[in-house]
Amino acid sequence: MRILIVGGGTGGTIIANNLSRRLDSEIRNKTAKITMLSASELHMYQPGLLYVAFGQMMPDELYRKQATLLESSIEFHVDPVDKFELDRKEVTTKSGKTYGYDILVIATGSRVMPKKIPGLEEGSETFYTEAGAVSMFKKLREFEGGNVGIVVGVPHKCPIAPVEVTFSLHDYFKKRGIRDKVNIKYHYPINRIHSIENVAIWAKPEFDRMGVEYETLFNVDEVDVEKKIVKSMEGSEYKYDLLISIPEHHGMAVIEDNDLGRDGWIPTDRYQLTMEGHDNVYVVGDTTNLPVSKTGSAAHFEAEVISENIASIVKIGVPVTEYDGKVYCFIEAGHDKATYANFNYENPPDLRAANKSMHWFKMSYNKMYWTSVRGLL
Amino acid sequence: MTTEKDKSPEAAENINLDGLAELASLVAAAQDALTDDMVTRMASAFSEGITLLDRLTRNEGLIHLLQELDRPENQRFLISLSNAFTAASRDIATAPPAKGGVVGLCKLGCNDGTQEGLRLVSLIAEHLSESMREMHRRGG
Repeated sequence: MRILIVGGGTGGTIIANNLSRRLDSEIRNKTAKITMLSASELHMYQPGLLYVAFGQMMPDELYRKQATLLESSIEFHVDPVDKFELDRKEVTTKSGKTYGYDILVIATGSRVMPKKIPGLEEGSETFYTEAGAVSMFKKLREFEGGNVGIVVGVPHKCPIAPVEVTFSLHDYFKKRGIRDKVNIKYHYPINRIHSIENVAIWAKPEFDRMGVEYETLFNVDEVDVEKKIVKSMEGSEYKYDLLISIPEHHGMAVIEDNDLGRDGWIPTDRYQLTMEGHDNVYVVGDTTNLPVSKTGSAAHFEAEVISENIASIVKIGVPVTEYDGKVYCFIEAGHDKATYANFNYENPPDLRAANKSMHWFKMSYNKMYWTSVRGLL
Repeated sequence: MTTEKDKSPEAAENINLDGLAELASLVAAAQDALTDDMVTRMASAFSEGITLLDRLTRNEGLIHLLQELDRPENQRFLISLSNAFTAASRDIATAPPAKGGVVGLCKLGCNDGTQEGLRLVSLIAEHLSESMREMHRRGG
């Protein structure tokens, strides 16, 4: 059984390692083989970018060599896929090589699309890339006071990020002793301050306590870089001195180019995590079109289900389990306390008051992540 | 010693509350004493430790080595090996530097200790090569 994993992010790496453990004897007797194709030789811990943006982590702390994270039985190539030929059970890579498979896992992830909004890329800071996070920290460091706006595009990776960055901005300016010189205004595209209702209910009094202003139904239309004004489709404007944006995301270009899904999101069975119409193709993490958060946590819980099912298909010919939509998200409520949201398809999150122990749990997880992607946690 | 009075529900409740208060004060003390960096470093060490432990416990060769080391004769061999390192380290410090050449090599070869040593090393090498050949025969 040839198992091909395309993409070496959180989901792809966990599946590869988990399968390597589950199929140890099959790999040894050569009845199963795991191959991973990735676009990069490095693996990035993406949630760490928020810490880089506030000077709490250095960029090099976010990376490990992908090969060091994989079990030795996994064949790994840095050779991104160019063409998916699902009917022929083949993919072709940028280098021109063709890889056949019996089971395919697509774990290509997502990307920011700031260019979709005129002026957004030039006029705002964002922490979704390494260069962006470093630039944002330098801008924050130079900032001496004025209007700071936060604007959000949908869909985007890590739904909690807009709230987290707002709390972090408050704590950052407070620590520098200039919070009274800074007006923070949070803008959100729907008619409440967060898409997850219980997060909105929890965050609103926190914003009030911190003196953060907020405006809902604010969908960014354009950014006037010269005048430093961000305009919404609804007709309102905000004059800023520093604009922080969370841009709209799409799936990766290779998914759109191969017509596998609109905007790069692949239509996925919400329980089996297979691509609609293709039982031998699994989709994990950001790449799915599922109504769950695009987070490492969702990718992790999906990966557990996918690897258990692929292993059982190899061993007994049928899948054994289903994904229930589980996501467990840490929420940093500033620089010294945190809480978490635990939810699935049926049950919304029930948020508790933020505390320091949860913050430490999150700080610890930033390091435990490497144990997690190795398939141990 | 537990008295009848200690066993009353009120006493048990007090013990529970005292325990909780102690735990709370321990957590508060840890929060005051530790910084984010310290927590991060500990988590990092724990994470790498677990990974290492996982690799070690799934390493067939290492597990076999540990099983072999359980045999008393192998433990004695390890003791002898470490003693030999100590003695060799001392001897090398006091011995004059080798002069080189075939004559020097012949003198060394005539030494009964050298011959004993060569015999031990060649015996180990003989068993090792036999074992490796057998492993390859089985497709390992």
